[in-house]
Amino acid sequence: MAQRISRKIAITIVLIVAGFAILFSVGLKGSLVYYLTVSEFMDPGRRTDLGDNFRVNGNVLPGSIERHEGAPGARFILTDGVKRLPVLYNKEVPDTFVDGAEAVVEGSLGSDGTFMAVTLLAKCPSKYEAQNRKR
Amino acid sequence: MAEFGTLCLFCALAASGWAVIASFNGWRAQLGELVLSAERAVLVTWALVFLAVASLEYCILTDQFGLEYVASYSNRALPKIYKFTALWGGQAGSLLFWELILISYASLIVLTNRRRNRVLMPVVVTTLAFVSTFFLGLVNFMARPFVRLAFSPEDGNGLNPQLQNPFMAIHPPCLYLGYVGLTLPFAFAMAALATGRLDDTWFRTTRRWTILSWFFLGTGILLGGWWAYVELGWGGYWAWDPVENASLIPWLTCTAFLHSVMIEERKKMLRVWNLSLVIMSFLLAILGTFITRSGVISSVHSFTKSDIGPVFAGFLGLSTLVSVGLLLYRLPDLKGEHRLDSFVSRESTFLFNNLLLVGAAFAVLWGTLFPIISEAVRGVKITVGPPFFNEVMVPIAFALVTLAGICPVIAWRRASPRKLLEKIQVPFWALLGGVAALLLGGVRDVYALVSFGLAVFVITTTVMEFFWGARSRQKVTGQGFGGALLSLVDRNKRRYGGFTVHLGFILIMVGVTGSSAFKQETTASVKRGESLTVGRYRMLFEDMVSRESPNAEFMGARLAIFDGDRRVGTLVPGQNFYKAGQNPSTEVAIHYTLREDLYTILTGFDPQEGRATLKAYLNPLINWIWIGGGVLILGAWFAMLPDLRDRRRDAEGRLAEVESRAA
Repeated sequence: MAQRISRKIAITIVLIVAGFAILFSVGLKGSLVYYLTVSEFMDPGRRTDLGDNFRVNGNVLPGSIERHEGAPGARFILTDGVKRLPVLYNKEVPDTFVDGAEAVVEGSLGSDGTFMAVTLLAKCPSKYEAQNRKR
Repeated sequence: MAEFGTLCLFCALAASGWAVIASFNGWRAQLGELVLSAERAVLVTWALVFLAVASLEYCILTDQFGLEYVASYSNRALPKIYKFTALWGGQAGSLLFWELILISYASLIVLTNRRRNRVLMPVVVTTLAFVSTFFLGLVNFMARPFVRLAFSPEDGNGLNPQLQNPFMAIHPPCLYLGYVGLTLPFAFAMAALATGRLDDTWFRTTRRWTILSWFFLGTGILLGGWWAYVELGWGGYWAWDPVENASLIPWLTCTAFLHSVMIEERKKMLRVWNLSLVIMSFLLAILGTFITRSGVISSVHSFTKSDIGPVFAGFLGLSTLVSVGLLLYRLPDLKGEHRLDSFVSRESTFLFNNLLLVGAAFAVLWGTLFPIISEAVRGVKITVGPPFFNEVMVPIAFALVTLAGICPVIAWRRASPRKLLEKIQVPFWALLGGVAALLLGGVRDVYALVSFGLAVFVITTTVMEFFWGARSRQKVTGQGFGGALLSLVDRNKRRYGGFTVHLGFILIMVGVTGSSAFKQETTASVKRGESLTVGRYRMLFEDMVSRESPNAEFMGARLAIFDGDRRVGTLVPGQNFYKAGQNPSTEVAIHYTLREDLYTILTGFDPQEGRATLKAYLNPLINWIWIGGGVLILGAWFAMLPDLRDRRRDAEGRLAEVESRAA
């Protein structure tokens, strides 16, 4: 390689690659979040080395949705069939957020044991064929 | 019809399999007739797949809910157009649609190369037919579109209301045309490697196909963003979702290839690199399809896991093994003929551009696959949030844009630094002027200042390039300025088409910067006669309105929009209650202007009290994203038009082939 390209170009390439490495490590630092099921999250021995933010995946317990009155958001229970996690979300809920929907919340655990969700993704279960076929 | 479709698919699998065997053995044994038979088998496969798709469409359009696929993705009340698009509403149908596009491309390749590229064609056909056989295997055995239910329901589930949108009707086909199109340069690259015909034939033949798939992929991504913006109701257009990333990654590597291939054309350099980029783009396109269709990574688009995962992984592994193996085998023959010796030259800007694009692709890939990797390595799923992508991609985008500004004014081979400085003087002052104006106007956001400053810089160099080109042509030919400009652009379609694409990209960057750095939002619960404000807009809630359409009932809030004291329009954000669906869908209402969008959402209402909860976003400059997209499309199409030079070269190529055959 040394013979085929000039030294200046080689140095620039090295600089660009080093720049990538720095960008990568700085960028990754603040944006890694554990992605857990409700049971894994509620396990007291869960890892906390990436900060207080978690992503938790489960289903919305049918009948548990209490929408806020006069303001966007809702209080509901997320479950994986084993454990139950109360969740509070104060922004507009997506259209797909209904009883039984599969949902992913991201946020942190409040002092009263309620999960304070900052983001909420939901997917209505009946629309997804991989599940339809299996059940 | 369903049985007919199943039969067609089965026969198509056989025909496609035969095409693989015949073309491969025809190539090994140099039997022209066997190759011819394989090429015919490709055309037969096309006909069969087409019939299968037609019969699935027939079943959907005639409401045959006895079929699982029809019952899952259609219903009686669905408008005809969305019944038609329900073909790609689910996994089995979209894989079938993928195959239809692939085999259509393959047939076009066969038909346009009956007298050309006869050395490469057997391997090209082998590759294309192999990919086609894989997808036919999937729709025959794994994700079957023609499965009957045990009973025939009265009505179907209906298509997801969010997919009932004109953008969603064209976004998937566009993406697929792009994804699948990347198979063509890959097939020719495989042929070049396998046959040892490593000259420029393979990429010259596929140049237009590559630009075409790049264009479709890019358009598909933009349409997807637009769809998210008007349909999903969160005021944004891009969320670094795995499925979005999956389409961006091959687009980035393909962009890199379109640039670096110009170096190979002129200098016969970077040959291994170019082949690697084409192979990468294809593999990433397959990976993208896999991510989209299997839901392997949790994503807004696809949560659920499916059984096609391992098969896809196997196919991906095999393709990687074969293509990388072939590349390594030919490595000794791929030495470049020139060396890259000058730091200040157009070649080196292309090299850095490639490094940045591939680095960007790798960053997005890394962030997207991180959950899988962490789960495999550490047993825990760790996701990477949008901040990672933003922090990595924004500096890379700025560096790329800077190169796009310098590149047109820097000479090939060895440019003199002094001349370069002279040439970028005007754009540089324009940059400083632009930034100063923004600072005076009160803009303090650093990212916005850098982004807009660079935009001014690139637009100035690019426009000057058009201007000076036309000027010097004017001197030679004595035409008027307009005529000189037209003939200049007409004679160098790829060059000036490419510059137009750069301008489009700059406009997109301006739109992205404006709408992310200066976004404003407000939420309020209001009674009739009350209003809420965001930015300079005041929205007066006049009344609740309701409307009925064949398949849904709409409830909305009528808002009078005031800009200062002037009434500028009426918006009716609301919710659609579908007769078939379980959950309502939010219908946003947007007041579009070139300066900004006023984006309104009805998040809740109480009919008794006459109270509506509303959310409004102010998205500055956002329409420049779509306008830039339009400019980009225009430039890409222009670059694909045939050049006079190309036609002459084609004719020479054909002559040379005839001569070599005669000899």
